[in-house]
Amino acid sequence: MKSKFLVIACILFLISAGLCFANGQKATASDQVNLKYIYWGSPAEDAAVKQALSEFEAANPTIKVEPMYLPGDLDGSTYNAKMKALAVSNTLPDVGYFRPEEFGNYAENGYFLKLDDLIARDGMDDSYLPQTWLKIQGNTYGAYSAAECQVMWYNKKVLEDAGVPIPPTDYRNAWSWDEFVTNLKKITVDSKGNHPGDPGFNAKDITRFGVSYDLWSAMYYPSVWSNGGDIIGSDGKTVYVDKPEAIEAFQNLSDLMNVHHVMPLVTGGTSVSPMTMLANGQLGFYVTGQWTLLELGTMKSFDYGVAALPIMKKPAQLYVSGVNVVFNSTKHPEEAWALQKWMMDPSKTLDLYTSGLWMPTKMSYYTDAEDLAKWLDNDVHPEGFKEAVVDSMAVAVNEPIMIKNINQIWGDYLNSAVESIWIGEKTAKEALTEAAGKIRKSGLLQGTY
Amino acid sequence: MAGAKMGFNTKRQTLWGWILISPLCLGLTLWVAFPMGLSLWTSLTEWDMLSKAEFVGLKNYITIFTEDELFLKSVRNTLYFTVLSVPLQMIIALGGALLLNTQVRGKRAFRTIFYLPSLIPIVVSSVMWLWLFNSQYGLINYLLHSVGLNRVQWIDSRHMVIPSLTIMNIWNVGNIIIIFLAGLQGIPKDLLEAVEIDGGRYWHKFRFVIIPLLSPIILYNMIVNMIKCLQLFVEPYIMTGGGPVNSSLSFVLHIYNNAFKYGKMGVANAMAWVLFILTLLISLVIFKTSCHWTYYEGDR
Repeated sequence: MKSKFLVIACILFLISAGLCFANGQKATASDQVNLKYIYWGSPAEDAAVKQALSEFEAANPTIKVEPMYLPGDLDGSTYNAKMKALAVSNTLPDVGYFRPEEFGNYAENGYFLKLDDLIARDGMDDSYLPQTWLKIQGNTYGAYSAAECQVMWYNKKVLEDAGVPIPPTDYRNAWSWDEFVTNLKKITVDSKGNHPGDPGFNAKDITRFGVSYDLWSAMYYPSVWSNGGDIIGSDGKTVYVDKPEAIEAFQNLSDLMNVHHVMPLVTGGTSVSPMTMLANGQLGFYVTGQWTLLELGTMKSFDYGVAALPIMKKPAQLYVSGVNVVFNSTKHPEEAWALQKWMMDPSKTLDLYTSGLWMPTKMSYYTDAEDLAKWLDNDVHPEGFKEAVVDSMAVAVNEPIMIKNINQIWGDYLNSAVESIWIGEKTAKEALTEAAGKIRKSGLLQGTY
Repeated sequence: MAGAKMGFNTKRQTLWGWILISPLCLGLTLWVAFPMGLSLWTSLTEWDMLSKAEFVGLKNYITIFTEDELFLKSVRNTLYFTVLSVPLQMIIALGGALLLNTQVRGKRAFRTIFYLPSLIPIVVSSVMWLWLFNSQYGLINYLLHSVGLNRVQWIDSRHMVIPSLTIMNIWNVGNIIIIFLAGLQGIPKDLLEAVEIDGGRYWHKFRFVIIPLLSPIILYNMIVNMIKCLQLFVEPYIMTGGGPVNSSLSFVLHIYNNAFKYGKMGVANAMAWVLFILTLLISLVIFKTSCHWTYYEGDR
C-alpha cells in the first residue's frame, strides 16, 4: 500500500514539475522572440557567424537567436539530409543558410517565405547585385548569402624558390593555359630534385606539386566556361558536356594529374588538405573557393598571394554561394526577415567580409571606393585581390541551380564519369560521351524551376 | 480465463504481466512493426519528403532492376566485400581465439589488444584508417616506401578500395574472437584428453573435437558477420563517398543517397526491401545447409 502511494506521488510530482517547466517557458516567451538560425561551414565560419548573431542580439534586445550549426561537408549531402528530416518533422528553424541545389525544389513546395513585399518595403531591390535575389516564377524566395567565386592562391616563397614569376592579377590578362602548365612543371619536384620531363623524374615520389584544384561540381564550371563550353544548358534540357569545348577543359585538368604530374591525384579518400600543403610549401598554387580566405587569413606562417585564374580561351568566373532563406513555418516573419537583412548588410556584419569569408552582395561595396576600402583594406586580402577576384565578378555566371535534378545528374552520372577521368582510367572524351548519353536517356532532364 | 491457464492466479496478476511487458510490446510495434509497414508502403509510392506521396504500385521495384545501373553495381560491390571479408574474418578470428586459449604469457594483455578495436567508435576508426591509407602521407605507404616498395593507392584505386575496406574490417575482429574464445572454453577437457590417449596430435584434436563442437558458434558468427557486411555503410560513407568511380558504392550507401541526397524515398525503401529479402535468402540457404556441418551436443 505504502509503495503504491509512493509511486503515485512520484508520478504526480513529475507531471506537476513538467507543467511548471512548460509554464516557465511560456512566461519568458511572451516578451521575447526566439529565432533559430541554421548554417553550415568550417569551424572558423561557425565562429564568425556566431559573432554576427550575437551582435544582432545586442542590437535587438527582444530577439534571442539560437545558432544551429552543422559542420560543413563538401557536397552538402549531410546538410540536405538534416534539412529534409527537419522539414518532414515540422521542426524547421526560422531562418538560415540553404543548399543552393535544393532551393528550387523547396521553394516550389512552399517552404520559403515570399520576400518581394518585404524587399520593396525596405527599398532593397536596387541596392544589391542583381544576381543576389533568387526568383521562382517571378517571386523572390531567397537571396544568395554572399557573392562567392573561384580563386587561385599561391605560396610566394614556393614560387620564388622555383624561379616562377609572380603571376598577373588582371583577370583579363591572366596566364594562358600553356604558360600556366609550364610554370607548374617548374614548381613540381621529386625527392631527388627532378622536375616533370627530366630524365629520372619519379612521379610516384613527388615532394612538391605545382597546383591543386578543388574537384567538385561547382569548381568545374569556370574552366569549362573559360574554354567556351558548358555542362547542361540553362534550359535544363540540353546536354553540352560531350561537346569538344567541355571535353577539352576536363582533359586539361586531368592532364595536370596524369600527363604533366603537377597536381596530386585527389579522390574521395585523401585527407591532407591542399591548404595545409600550400602552407607547408608542398604546393605552389591552390585553386579553390574564395571563402577559404577565412582560413588562409589566420595562417600567419607563410606569405600568400592571389593570381587571376588561368585562361583557356576567355576569362570566366562563377557566382556561387549558399542561399539565405526565411522559412515559411516561422512564427516571427518580421524578426526573421530582420535577421536575414542584418546578415546581408556589410555595415552590420563587416567582420564576415573583412575576414575573407564572404564578398558583399550590396552594390555600393563594389562601386563606391570608400565602401570598397572598408572590406578590402586589411592584412587578410592580399594585394591584387580587387583585380583578380572582385573585378572578375563582372564576367561571373550563376551556378546553374535552377536546373531541375541537377544534383542527381551530377551525383548519378557526372561525378563518377569525371572521377574516372581524374584517375586516368578513361579519357575525357570517352567518359563524358558515355555519361552524356546516359543523362539524355535518364529522364532527369526536366527543364528549370 | 487465459490468465489462469498461463499460470496466473488472478486477473490482477495478468494485468501486471501485461504492464510489465508493455515496454517491449510498445517498442516492437512503434519502432519495428510500424516503421517496417510504413517502409513497405513508401516503397510503393513516389515521395520526395516535401510534396505529397503518390501511389505508383511496383514501379520503384521495376525501376531498380531495369533503369538503375548503379543498383546492380552496388550489389556487386557489397557481395564482393562480403565474400572477401567473412571467410578471412572467420579464419583470423578463429586463429586468434585458438592462440588466446593456450597458456601463453600475457594472455590478458593480448586479449585486450585484440578486443580494443571493437571499442573504438566506427567513425573514429574510419577517420584513423583514412590517414593510414592515405596514398601520399599515410603510415602504411610510408613503411612500404621506407623498405623500397612502391606506394599503393589504397582507397584511391578502384581495384584496391574494397580489399582496403576488408583489411580495415579484419582489424576489427575482436568481437568474433571473444565469442570463439567463449566457445573454445566450453569444450570439455575430457574429450581433448581422450584424443591424446588415443595417440592423436593437435591436428586431430582440432579436426575431430574442436571444429565439430565449435560448429554452432561458427554458424552464429558467420550469419551475424554476413549480415553486418551486407549492411556496409559507415566506412565508405566517411572514407570514400562510394568512390573512386562508384567502386565502393555499397548497397546501403546507395539507399542513403537515393533517400537523402536525391529525395527518392520510394526507390530507397524499395531497395531496402530488396536488401532485406536478399539477406533473408542468403541466411536461409546457410541455415538449411548448416545441418550438414553443424553438430549440437545431444543431437542424434
